[in-house]
Amino acid sequence: MKKSKILLIIPAYNEEANILKTCQKIIDFNQTHKINYDFIVINDGSLDNTKKILEENKLPHINLIHNLGIGGAVQTGYKYALKNDYDIAVQFDGDGQHDVTYVEKLIKPIINKEADFTIGSRFIENISEFKTSFMRRVGIKIITFFIKIACGFKLKDTTSGFRAANKKIINEFANYYPSEYPEPISTVLVVKKGFKVQEIGVNMYERDGGSSSIHSWKNFYYMINVCLSILIAGTRRSK
Amino acid sequence: MITDNLRLVVIIFILFLLIVYLLRKRKLSTKYAIVWFLAIIVMLFTVLLPDVMKYIANLIGFELLSNMLLCIFIVILLFITLALTIVVSSNKRRITLLIEEVSILKKELEDKK
Repeated sequence: MKKSKILLIIPAYNEEANILKTCQKIIDFNQTHKINYDFIVINDGSLDNTKKILEENKLPHINLIHNLGIGGAVQTGYKYALKNDYDIAVQFDGDGQHDVTYVEKLIKPIINKEADFTIGSRFIENISEFKTSFMRRVGIKIITFFIKIACGFKLKDTTSGFRAANKKIINEFANYYPSEYPEPISTVLVVKKGFKVQEIGVNMYERDGGSSSIHSWKNFYYMINVCLSILIAGTRRSK
Repeated sequence: MITDNLRLVVIIFILFLLIVYLLRKRKLSTKYAIVWFLAIIVMLFTVLLPDVMKYIANLIGFELLSNMLLCIFIVILLFITLALTIVVSSNKRRITLLIEEVSILKKELEDKK
């Protein structure tokens, strides 16, 4: 069997504190395990030294000419994966939350053709040491409920950005990737189109630098918007 | 009375000229100008034929002509706002795609150097 070409898409916005560590871990992992995960950092118009660090260390990267937000950054990665004929694309955060040793587990169902799209989850198999606040867990439960209504799929870790896609999904996302609340919405769209989605237990670390893209004071507004967007995505006709 | 009306007609005419000017300068597309022309026609009718407008207002069920006018203009403004938010949303989508494609092309260009 031909070996799959794998690309890690690493969106980064103001990640000067973490980006080098994140990339170094992937490079080290490749060397010690004799595998080859390519990666590309999408620098989403960072205002700090992210760009400088990427250039000085000759890390493969794309500098977006203007800040787009996580959706646009990730879509750029999918477009790059499509152009360069990758078999599997893995979304991997630049802030050190995700654990490269779990990429293999995440892509296994895709290689075995059991799934088209896999989502790394903190909430199954109890692998993760990641602690979440009570309010956040409630929020995630509500989003889980709305996703279930919209497309019938029970997704436990709705905001996980650790996800893997096969070629068909890469193609889909290169053509359309939601710019607002991309993680839950894109999952609904993929399920609606009849692709096989699986949630895989992974380890995630606490963020050790930078700030999360979800601000606490915006939470209420965020929840209403997310749930509405999920329901709208749910009304799209499935193929 | 006549001078009052004349003043209003002049104001409406200036608005009309402004819209035509913006159209000629290609600062406004015809699609949106039509709504403005519609508004101008309603204004003209009200000024020139207030009795007819009053009759129409009563027929529809408005007790006061001013209420009907207010209602019409709110609907027109809502329509314009909706049209504008549609344009803004689709423009945002297009700009996003442009930024993505240009950034990828820039990378490829730099790789070749």
